[in-house]
Amino acid sequence: MRQNKWFLLVVALLLGLVLAACSTTGSDSEEGSEEEGNTNESESTQTDEEKVLNIAATADIPTMDPIMAEDNVSFQYVSAVYEGLYRIATGGEIVSGVANKDETEISEDGLTYTFHLREDATWENGDPVTAQDFVYGWQRAIDPDNGSFYANYLMSGKIKNAAEIYAGDMEPSELGVSAPDDYTFVVELEKAVPYMDSYAAFMTFLPLNQEFVEEQGEDFALAPENMLSNGPFKMTEWETESGWVLEKNEDYWDAENVALNSINVKVIKDADTGLSNYEVGELDRVSLQGAQVKDNQTSPEFKSLTETSVFWLKMNQASAEKSEYMQNLNFRMALAKGFDKQSYIDVAYGNDSEPVNYFVPHDFVQHPETGEDFQTGSDVLAFDVEAAQEYWEKAKEELGFEEVTLSFLSGDTDVSKSISEFMKTELEENLEGLTLETVNVPWAQQLELMRKHEYELAVSGWGPDYKDAISFVDLWVTGGENNDVGYSNEDYDALVKSAKNELATKPVERFEALQQAEKIALEDAAIAPIMQRKTSVLSKDYVKGMDTMNPFGNDYSFKYVDIQK
Amino acid sequence: MAKYILQRLIYMIITLFIIATATFFLMKMLPGSPFDANAQKMSEEQYESMLEHYGLDEPVPVQYVKYMAGMVQGDLGVSFQYDNRAVTDVILDRLGPSAQLGAQALIIGAILGIILGMVAAIRHNTWVDYTSNVIAVIGISIPSFVFAGILQYYLAVQWRLFPPSFWETPIHTVLPTIALMIFPMAICARFMRTEMLEVLGSDYIELARAKGVSSNSIMFKHAMRNALIPVITVLGPMTVSLMTGTLVIEQIFAVPGIGEQFVSSINTKDYPVIMGTTMLFSILFIVVILIVDLLYGLIDPRIRISGGKK
Repeated sequence: MRQNKWFLLVVALLLGLVLAACSTTGSDSEEGSEEEGNTNESESTQTDEEKVLNIAATADIPTMDPIMAEDNVSFQYVSAVYEGLYRIATGGEIVSGVANKDETEISEDGLTYTFHLREDATWENGDPVTAQDFVYGWQRAIDPDNGSFYANYLMSGKIKNAAEIYAGDMEPSELGVSAPDDYTFVVELEKAVPYMDSYAAFMTFLPLNQEFVEEQGEDFALAPENMLSNGPFKMTEWETESGWVLEKNEDYWDAENVALNSINVKVIKDADTGLSNYEVGELDRVSLQGAQVKDNQTSPEFKSLTETSVFWLKMNQASAEKSEYMQNLNFRMALAKGFDKQSYIDVAYGNDSEPVNYFVPHDFVQHPETGEDFQTGSDVLAFDVEAAQEYWEKAKEELGFEEVTLSFLSGDTDVSKSISEFMKTELEENLEGLTLETVNVPWAQQLELMRKHEYELAVSGWGPDYKDAISFVDLWVTGGENNDVGYSNEDYDALVKSAKNELATKPVERFEALQQAEKIALEDAAIAPIMQRKTSVLSKDYVKGMDTMNPFGNDYSFKYVDIQK
Repeated sequence: MAKYILQRLIYMIITLFIIATATFFLMKMLPGSPFDANAQKMSEEQYESMLEHYGLDEPVPVQYVKYMAGMVQGDLGVSFQYDNRAVTDVILDRLGPSAQLGAQALIIGAILGIILGMVAAIRHNTWVDYTSNVIAVIGISIPSFVFAGILQYYLAVQWRLFPPSFWETPIHTVLPTIALMIFPMAICARFMRTEMLEVLGSDYIELARAKGVSSNSIMFKHAMRNALIPVITVLGPMTVSLMTGTLVIEQIFAVPGIGEQFVSSINTKDYPVIMGTTMLFSILFIVVILIVDLLYGLIDPRIRISGGKK
C-alpha cells in the first residue's frame, strides 16, 4: 500500500512534467505548423518587393472601436485600419481621405461643411463607403449609451446638438450631420471651427458600416474577424498582450500607393527587451528610454523626433494657503526663471528634449499666409539665476517675507521622485529663503489634487488633439475647465474669446490674436514652461517615412511608410 | 476524506467571500478613477457623465451588492481598460502562458532542487555539498530578474542561441523558464539537504541499515519520502507565487501573462479586472493549500487528513 502511494506521487510529478511538456509540444506543433505555413507563404511570396515592417508597442491595443479610442496605441492602429473624411499624412499634413479635400464646400459663416466623397472607396466586404456610414459613425459616437469620451470632448459645443444629445436631452439622430445623397456628407456646426481639417481627420470621426457593426453586436472590434476595414491596412491577427499583424488592404481605393505589405507588431513593455530584439534583428525600429538614449546617441541609426507635447511648472494661484504669494507676479517670475531647464531634462529624461520658454510648441502650426511658425521664440521666462534672484528680492519686499515654504506635488515613480529632488535642490539653492516640501503621490491622486486646486507647485504637460494653437492657448482662460493654475487676465480672455468667435473665419487675425495671447500669459508667468519633449529611437536605414511624428492624433502614418532595402 | 474535503470547501467559500468583500472596498479606496488618463481633458460634467455611464456614480455599497450578485452568477463584468472585453476572456487569454511558464519552472526547478539537495546530503561535507550550497545560496539571494537580464544578454543577444523574448515556440520558453526555475530549485535544494541529513541520522534509517536494506532502497524508499514533506509544504505557496509573481520575468521576456495584467489593471483602475484576477489568485492559493494538505497524507500515512482518529 505504501509503495502504491509512493508510486502515485512519482506518477503525479511525472504527469505534471509531461503535461507541461505536452502543452509546450501542443503549442510546438501548433506554432510549428503556423511557422511552417508562414515559411511556405513567405517562400511562395517572398519577392524583392516584400515589405514587412517589424515594430513593437509598449502596450496591447485597448480598443479598435474608433469611437472608444483615446490612447496613442489605439489611435495608431485604428487610423491604419480605417479612413475618415481626411487623413493625416507624414508630419501632420492633412490630405484627402474618403472625402476629396479640394471639393469641400464651406458656407460663408463657416457653419456648414459639405464634404464630397469619392465613389471608389469600399469596405473590405465590397460595400461602398457612403455618406450614410459617416452619419451612422458620428451618431454612434455621440450616443451617450456608448460612453465615448472623445466624441463628447470634441463634438459638444461645436457640432449642432451634440451637447444636448450627450446629456440625454435629444436623440442621436438629431445630430447636425446628414447625407443628402450617397456621396455627400453635410456637417452643421454651432460655431465656426477654424481647425475643421484636422478635426475631420480625427479617429473619433470615422465612418462605420452600420449593417456590419450591428451584426457584430457586443463583439464589434474585439477580434480581426469582427472588424471591417476601409483603410490602407486590415488587421489579420491579434493576440492579446502578444501582438498583432496588419496586412495591406488590397480593396483600399489608394492601395497602389501603400508600400508596406504588412506590419508585425509585438507587445514589449520592457525597454531593454525592446533594444535586445532590435539588436538581434527582430525589430526594425525601437524607442529608447532612460540610459539607453545616452548609450546609443552616437549610433548612425539613432534618431531624435520632435513631439508637440510641452511640459511646464504649474504655480497655483488658487492655492488655499499660499495664494497671496502665488498671485504675486515677481514671486512667479522668480520661480519660473529660477531653475535650469536643461539640467531638468538631463535628470528626468536624459535625451535631447528641448528646453522651452513658451507653451505653444514649435513645428506645430504655421501662419496661414506666410507659413511662418507660430512659435517665434520668447525668452521672458528663460532660465536666468540673477534675474530670478532680483524678482525674488522684489517679491520679498512686496509681500514682506524672508522665508517661505511651498509644496511641490509630483508622481511616485522614480523619474517623478528625481524631478522633485532636482526642483527642490535647484530652487532652494537659487532663491534664498525658499523651502520646497516634496509631495510624491500616485498619478491618479496628483490629478485629483490638481483638479481640486489642492497644491502649490506641480509639473504637468499637454499634447494637442487637433492642429490649432488654441488647443494650448485655451487652457488658461479664466474659469476654464483645464485652468487648474487659477490664472486670470481680462486681455488674455478677450483675445481667446475673439479667436473662438468673431475671428473664427479670419485665419490671419486669429493666428496673430493667439500669438498675442500666448505672449500675455508668458509675461504674466501664468505657468513656467520647461520643455518640448522629444522621442529617441533607433531605426534601420531602410525604414522610410517614420522620421517625423505627427503633431496630433496618430504618431505615424503607416500608409506612407516604406521599406527600401 | 469526503467529509474533510466538503468541510474545506465550505471554508474556502467563506474565505473567498471575505477576500472579495475586502478587495472590493480596498479597491474603491484607491484614489482616482478609470478615466485618469484623460482626466485633464474632461470637465466636471463630462467626468460625472462617464462615471454614470459605467455605474460608478452609485454609492459604493450599491456597487458592491450589484458586483457580488453578478459574480455569484458567474458574471465578472467587462474590462474598462480593454474596451468591452469580458473579464473572464481577459483572464483566460493571459492565464495560459503564466500557467505554462510557472509549471515548467516549478517542475524542472523542484526536480533539480530535490536531486541537488539529495546529492549534497549524501556527499555531506565534500566539494559536492559545498558546490550545491553555493548554488543554492546564489539562487535564493539573487533575484530572478538579474538572471533574466544576464541570460537574455549573453544567450540571446551575444551568442544568439535563443530568441531574446516573446512566447511563440518552445524555444522561446527556455530562457524565462531557466530564469524562473532558479529560485524554486535553490529553495528545494536547501530544504531537501537539511531534511535528508536529519532523516539519514534518524533511528529508523540506522535500523534499516542494520537490517541490511540496500542503500538505494534506504535512500529512495525511506529517507527521500520523509524528507519531501517540508519540500511539499514550500512548493504549495511557491506554485501560486510562480504563477502570479512572475511579473518582472513576464515583462522582460514579453510573455503575455496574468502577473503583468494584474499590475496594469491596478494602475489603470480597471476595477472588474482587479477583482477578477484577485479572485483567481485567491482560488488558486486556496486550492493549492488543499492539495498540499491532501498530499501530506499521501506521502506520510501518519498524517490523517480526516482528523478523526489520532
